[in-house]
Amino acid sequence: MSQLAQQLGEIKGRFDAALSRAADDAALEALRVAFFGRIGEITLLRRSIGKLPPAERPTAGKIINDTVASMEEQLSAVQAKLESAQFASELGKDIDVTFPSTEPAMGSIHPIRRLTEIISGYFERHGFAVVLGPEVEPDYYNFDALNIPAGHPAREGFDSFWLTDTLLLRPHTSPMQIRTMQQHQPPIAVIVPGKCYRRDAVDARHSYMFHQVEGLLVAHGIHFGHLKAMLTGMCSELFGPESSIRFRPSYFPFTEPSAEVDARCPLCKGRGGSCRMCGGSGWIELGGSGMVHPNVLREMKYDPEVVSGWAFGFGIERMALRRYDVDDIRRFFENDPAFLRQLR
Amino acid sequence: MKAPVGWLRDYVDLPESSHEIAELLASIGFPVDAIEPRPELSNVVVGRIDTLQKHPNADRLQVAKVDIGLRQPLNIATAATNVAVGQMIAVAMIGAQLPNLKIERRKMRGFESEGMMISADELGLPADWFEDGILQMDAETLLGADVISYFRLRDDVLDVDITTNRPDAMSMTGLARELAAATGKELRLPPELQHAEGRIGARDRDAKKDADGPAVSIRSADCTRFVAQRFSNITVRQSPLWMRVRLALAGQRPINNIVDVSNYVMLEVGQPLHFYDAAHLSGNHLIARDAAPGEKLVTLDDVEHELFQTDLVIADEQAVQGLAGIKGGKNAEVTAGTRKIILEAANFNGARIRRMSAAHGFRTDASTRHEKTLAPILTDLGAARAATLLIAEGAAAHAPHAFGDSLQKQTPVHLPLGEPKRLLGFDLNAKEIRALLSPLGFNSEQDGDQALLIQPPAWRNDVTISADVVEEIARMAGYDRVPMVMPAIATHDIASAAYHLENRIAYSLEALGYYEIVSYSLQGAGVRQRFSNAGLSLRAREVEIRNPLSAEQTFLRSALEPGILDHFARMDQPIKIFELGHVFEQGDRIEEIPMLAMGWAVENAREPNWRDSAFLQFKGDCEELVRRLTGRKPEASRDTYLGMHPGKCATLSLDGVEIMHLGAADPRLLHGYEIRRAVYLAVIPLTHIPEPAIPQYRPGSRFPSTTRDLALVVALEVSAKAIEQTIASTIGDLGKSVRVFDEYRGPQVGENQKSLAARMVLQRDDTTITDEEADEAVARALSALKSELGAEIRS
Ligand SMILES: [Zn+2]
Repeated sequence: MSQLAQQLGEIKGRFDAALSRAADDAALEALRVAFFGRIGEITLLRRSIGKLPPAERPTAGKIINDTVASMEEQLSAVQAKLESAQFASELGKDIDVTFPSTEPAMGSIHPIRRLTEIISGYFERHGFAVVLGPEVEPDYYNFDALNIPAGHPAREGFDSFWLTDTLLLRPHTSPMQIRTMQQHQPPIAVIVPGKCYRRDAVDARHSYMFHQVEGLLVAHGIHFGHLKAMLTGMCSELFGPESSIRFRPSYFPFTEPSAEVDARCPLCKGRGGSCRMCGGSGWIELGGSGMVHPNVLREMKYDPEVVSGWAFGFGIERMALRRYDVDDIRRFFENDPAFLRQLR
Repeated sequence: MKAPVGWLRDYVDLPESSHEIAELLASIGFPVDAIEPRPELSNVVVGRIDTLQKHPNADRLQVAKVDIGLRQPLNIATAATNVAVGQMIAVAMIGAQLPNLKIERRKMRGFESEGMMISADELGLPADWFEDGILQMDAETLLGADVISYFRLRDDVLDVDITTNRPDAMSMTGLARELAAATGKELRLPPELQHAEGRIGARDRDAKKDADGPAVSIRSADCTRFVAQRFSNITVRQSPLWMRVRLALAGQRPINNIVDVSNYVMLEVGQPLHFYDAAHLSGNHLIARDAAPGEKLVTLDDVEHELFQTDLVIADEQAVQGLAGIKGGKNAEVTAGTRKIILEAANFNGARIRRMSAAHGFRTDASTRHEKTLAPILTDLGAARAATLLIAEGAAAHAPHAFGDSLQKQTPVHLPLGEPKRLLGFDLNAKEIRALLSPLGFNSEQDGDQALLIQPPAWRNDVTISADVVEEIARMAGYDRVPMVMPAIATHDIASAAYHLENRIAYSLEALGYYEIVSYSLQGAGVRQRFSNAGLSLRAREVEIRNPLSAEQTFLRSALEPGILDHFARMDQPIKIFELGHVFEQGDRIEEIPMLAMGWAVENAREPNWRDSAFLQFKGDCEELVRRLTGRKPEASRDTYLGMHPGKCATLSLDGVEIMHLGAADPRLLHGYEIRRAVYLAVIPLTHIPEPAIPQYRPGSRFPSTTRDLALVVALEVSAKAIEQTIASTIGDLGKSVRVFDEYRGPQVGENQKSLAARMVLQRDDTTITDEEADEAVARALSALKSELGAEIRS
């Protein structure tokens, strides 16, 4: 019995010494294994109780249990101390959060697509489909079917690049009005974004290649008021919730009545003056619009007395120049990464 | 068209401000492109030179006493040489404001001048269109009259944009009518321009009044009407100043009183006129006919034109005297000696005039009007107005003769009363409609209960259907009355798939670090040249542009890669870019293919010949794109492609269908573009990308896996893909992943051999895999690798 107490005392002495050297979790774990593991000193000592006379066993058990309890207490105390030291060290770290970030290697969407998507997305949410079409088109789709027969004075407004006697690069997205109406029956509700080409000399405001977004809605009972509401909504997405639009009478052979569409300038709210965005007019020109001409509907074998519809065609670059405050239309086609990064 | 505001004020009362007038015009469909401001002018009056003497102290100066209608004449010194006693001249008084000059009391060589005699230039008129020196007033001008207000020299000039459907508004009276209708003000027209409708049927009434008048034969359906009128007792001289000033402000150079009348009437009424010197016509007979082969014409501007048989000409019995609707001939030009003239006021088919004008590359003020097909009534109005102005110049007018079609009323238009509401969305009753249309000259009457019969005025040949009338109503009522109504769009079967594919591509590549570019679709011969310099030839024949504006626009692009390379060359920085666009190929017909091209310019890496880490990264991007688009991982295989490095080119396929080609750019091509970085390119036609597969979830095994690495030695031509496929097919379901992860070539393996390391992860779904099972699988794999690919374990 006293031998056991002595052994226990020695074990406790070694434990205390080891514990005082333990500096981290790993050392504590090793300590646990050495004393309480499968063949740890305490475990072995417990096993030796069986060799004692039965009368001494309860006392021996109690002495061991008491010592173990105090050892466990010491262990958790040291463990707690170690943990708090670790937290203190971790919490003591201090960095300069204003140090420049590491930029993620993201790319960018071209501003033309981004703007096209805002417009197309708006119309898609209202039930329009977005369709794409060819850039090389026969004159039939570009002109004849749109009520611009050969010799019509309005053909001159479309100074086009010709490939053959009958094929040209489309000067507007309107050919897709015809293709869509040929393939479907009303209701027709489509948006057509795409490239167009006209023989314009290139300068800061003009490009021989540009993008248009065309809209066409043909169904029973469609009138100009529906166009006004849809375009007002579109401008709210583009320029903010207080946007409004106005129509000015104009002439396009494929619409009657026809109108130019202007959006109230979002910067000066229509006041004009020396406004940089609208050039002082208070309004931003979006493009042409109108009610689809009865001759166009008839060419599609639609009855113009039964269905009616409207169409519009806006220049994307013209809007993008305003929206992103870009000084020169050519920047959209130079694709300088610095430019693209700014507008992403 | 230049519209001097002062001229418009003749016919209608207008607001003071040019901006207000411009806004009015824009609100009814005539946008004003520019307001040309007139200079600041004041205190210029009409004076008469009463005496003229040499300046006492200066040889080159004269001193005049000028009566300006006040008690005391003004003493004025001048250096001008075109002055004489009795002349009526313009005098700027002390305090007068002229362009860049304020008149002040000053001494000229000891003589105190009390004003200045001035030239056209000093009134802001083009100096070389008027006499040199002091501007001469007409003899009957009132002494002391205010020159500036008399000629309305302070009123700006508007540059009005007139749409091609409204040639009737390409005139001062036409614009004035629109302004009068928009403002509700009265329209004041010269008497001979009023009551146009009353002239309908005039042909019969006027016939045979002038027995000596010219005969006109119309031998082409493209000349619809020809009013001819004889004037005698002509004296050719300078026009009165008021007419010269007006023409000059409208941008028309004054010539002489006869030519000026034709220009004045064209600007005022919209009908181009031509005057022939009757003495130079052969026979009293004009013929409108097609040109004959070999005929020539020298026009008034001294240019000789070879005539085409498609030309419509006006000829006498001997020769061509004018190109119809475009310009008259030199032969019968009105000159100083002209005594008798024949007036032509004709109406032509606009399309024919347009084609002629294009064929000769010859546009004139006359042809820009005629090519839009004028209303026939204008021939009669123009002739009548010219007669009044020529009579004022002392000419004797004979009766006009009209040939060709007689004047007709425009066809009336049936307008259901519900039509404005159906197209515009707001209601108007019959009374309102009539009130809106009447100031424009439209007459209307009830056509049953529910419709109006609208009679367009004779000069409006653009209004033929009810939608045209609705537009007139909208113009006059104002689009502000259109309500806002959201349309309820019924479902339809039109798909947006192609658009969504493009957007999915763009957003996927953005996430992978690629910048989208948009480059020009037209290009010069330089692209083909650069490829051929590199010993390559573009696969496709390029489509040629017939009428390019520059040498850089001669072809449609047949590939997107040159645009990518061009960007790398111009920007000279490492970057990943892509472009979505159409390419064009000239075959039996023109093929147009929507395409994607990706490019990566990256610093060159030092690597052995058989390794290219950047290629593998780029291939990873390409595979990830395909996965995002189709939900599946494509197969890569070695390939060749134009412009790509023959040893670093692959094709990605799905189920044997080629999806994209990728590779390092051919170094010879990079040299041609002066690109010093490594470049990787990929091209994908968007025509056969499969619909995306929906990913299906498979739970992973709960049991531990075991990993085995194999070090193999194989012949050089054995691909990593072949190793992976052989292992995978041999070990079957046990293999959770098989991947070649290292390659080595060099002295430690034999020549013509390489060492590849492959890692297999083995796992069972139902229980823990045992070491024996794993060993057995590895053994099977090695045996298959040896027998199928000749692979040995690397010792
Ligand atoms: Zn503004």
